[in-house]
Amino acid sequence: MSLIGALSRLSLQSTALASRCFHTTTVLCAEPLKKKKKIDPQVIKQREDRKKKKIEKQIRRLEKNARQLKPVEELEVPLELIDDKAKRLRKLPQLNGAEQETRALLIKEWARFKHNEKVADFQIIDRLLQSQNKALDELRNESEELYQAAIEVDLQLLAVPLKGPVSTPPIKNYVSPDGDYNHQSMKWE
Amino acid sequence: MFRRLTQISAKQLARTQSTAATGAAKEKWDLYAGVLVERLPVVSKTLNPLERRFQDMLLNVEYENSLKSDHELKHERDLVQLEQIKQGKVQVDLDEGVAKQTAQDLKDAYIEELKKFEAAPRTTPDDAANKTSSTDRCLEDTLYLLVQQKLGQQQHLLLPQGQRQEGETMRQTAERVVREQCGNDLKVLFYGNAPVGFHKYKYPSNQRANSVGAKVFFFRASLRAGNVQAGTKDAPAAQYEWLPKEALSQKLKNAAYAESINKFLI
Repeated sequence: MSLIGALSRLSLQSTALASRCFHTTTVLCAEPLKKKKKIDPQVIKQREDRKKKKIEKQIRRLEKNARQLKPVEELEVPLELIDDKAKRLRKLPQLNGAEQETRALLIKEWARFKHNEKVADFQIIDRLLQSQNKALDELRNESEELYQAAIEVDLQLLAVPLKGPVSTPPIKNYVSPDGDYNHQSMKWE
Repeated sequence: MFRRLTQISAKQLARTQSTAATGAAKEKWDLYAGVLVERLPVVSKTLNPLERRFQDMLLNVEYENSLKSDHELKHERDLVQLEQIKQGKVQVDLDEGVAKQTAQDLKDAYIEELKKFEAAPRTTPDDAANKTSSTDRCLEDTLYLLVQQKLGQQQHLLLPQGQRQEGETMRQTAERVVREQCGNDLKVLFYGNAPVGFHKYKYPSNQRANSVGAKVFFFRASLRAGNVQAGTKDAPAAQYEWLPKEALSQKLKNAAYAESINKFLI
C-alpha cells in the first residue's frame, strides 16, 4: 500500500515540473560588464559650470522677486473711485462757530470722563491685587505646600474662548438666513 | 570670654522668644475654600447721556468726512432723470420704465425687510418677575451666586464654601465645593489656581476645642452653562440667588464678611 502511495506522489510532482517546461537561474541572466566610457574632463567641467549657472540664475530671479510684496487688494483704492472723487464729495455748509464750540467742549468733557474712568479702573485693579496678595500671604502662613500649588500656572486657561457682551441678547433657536457666498480670494505664487 | 557668654545668652534668648511667638501663631485654624461664581454681562452697558452725545457727534463727523456711496449717486441720477421726464426732454420707454428699480425703491425694500426682524429685548421676563434664582436677568450686570448654607446652628446666604480635606489643594477643594453645593449641572471656569480673596472668622467660644476658627480662601470662577440644582440629593443647597453687586452687599448680614468680599468684587 505504501509503495503505491509513494508512486502516485512522485507522478504528481513530475507533472508539476513538466507544466513549467523550463526555468532559468540567476547565473544565466548575467551579462558581461560594459566598458566604462571615458569622458573628457573638460566636458565634465563644462557641464558642471552650466548647472551652476542655471542655479545661480534661479537664485537671482528669486531674490529679485523676494522684494516684491503680495498686493493687498483692500489697500489699493480702485481707479474709478479716484476718478470720480469730485463727484462723490459732499457739499455741506461750513460748521458755524457755535457748533464748533460745542463740539470742542464736548471733546474736553469726554477726555475728563475717560480719564476718571481710567483712574477708577486702576483703583479697582489695585484693590484686586491687594486682595489676592493678602490671600496668598495668608495661605503661605498656613502651609508652604498649598501656597506653591496656588501659584502654579493654570494651563487650562490657555485656550479659553470668551464672547464679549453684545448689544442685544441672542434669540433662542434663531436660525440665521443663509446669505450668498462668493469665493473671491486670489491665488498668488 | 565674657563677651562670648553674653552672645550665647542673647542667642538663646532670641530662640526662646521666637518659639514662643510660633507657639502663639500655631493656633489651629480650619481651611475653607469659597467660590465666587460670576455670570458675566450678556449685553453691553446702556450709554450714559455724555456717551450718547459723544457718539452722536462722532457719527456726524464720520458722515461729514465720508464720500458718497454708489447708492447715493444712483439716487441722484434717478432724481435728475425724473426731472427731465417731467420737463418732457426725455421720452419714457415704457418697457424700460416698468422694469427699472430706482434707488429709492431699493431703499424702501431694504427698510421693509429690516422691519421684519425683531431683536430680542434687553430686559427679560425674569427681570420683571424679579426672579433672583434665574441667570437670565440683569443682562447688563455681573451676577454673583449666593447659596444658603448652615454654619453652626443658623442658615446663612453666603458664597459657596467648604472645608479642605487632607491631600487636597485649595483649588481642588473649591472645585469640589461647587460640585457638592450646586450639583453637576453647573459648569464653571476657574480663573487660575490662586485665591483672589481672604476672610477669617472665629468660632463661638464654646466650640473652639479643635480649632479656633475658619480661614476662607476665595476663588473666582465664571459661569459657563447650567444653573444650580437646588434641593436635590447631591446638591443640598435649599436656596440660592444670583445678585448684582449692590444687592449682594445688602443681602450679606455680616458686615465683616461683606467687607472681605467687597475687596475682590469688580
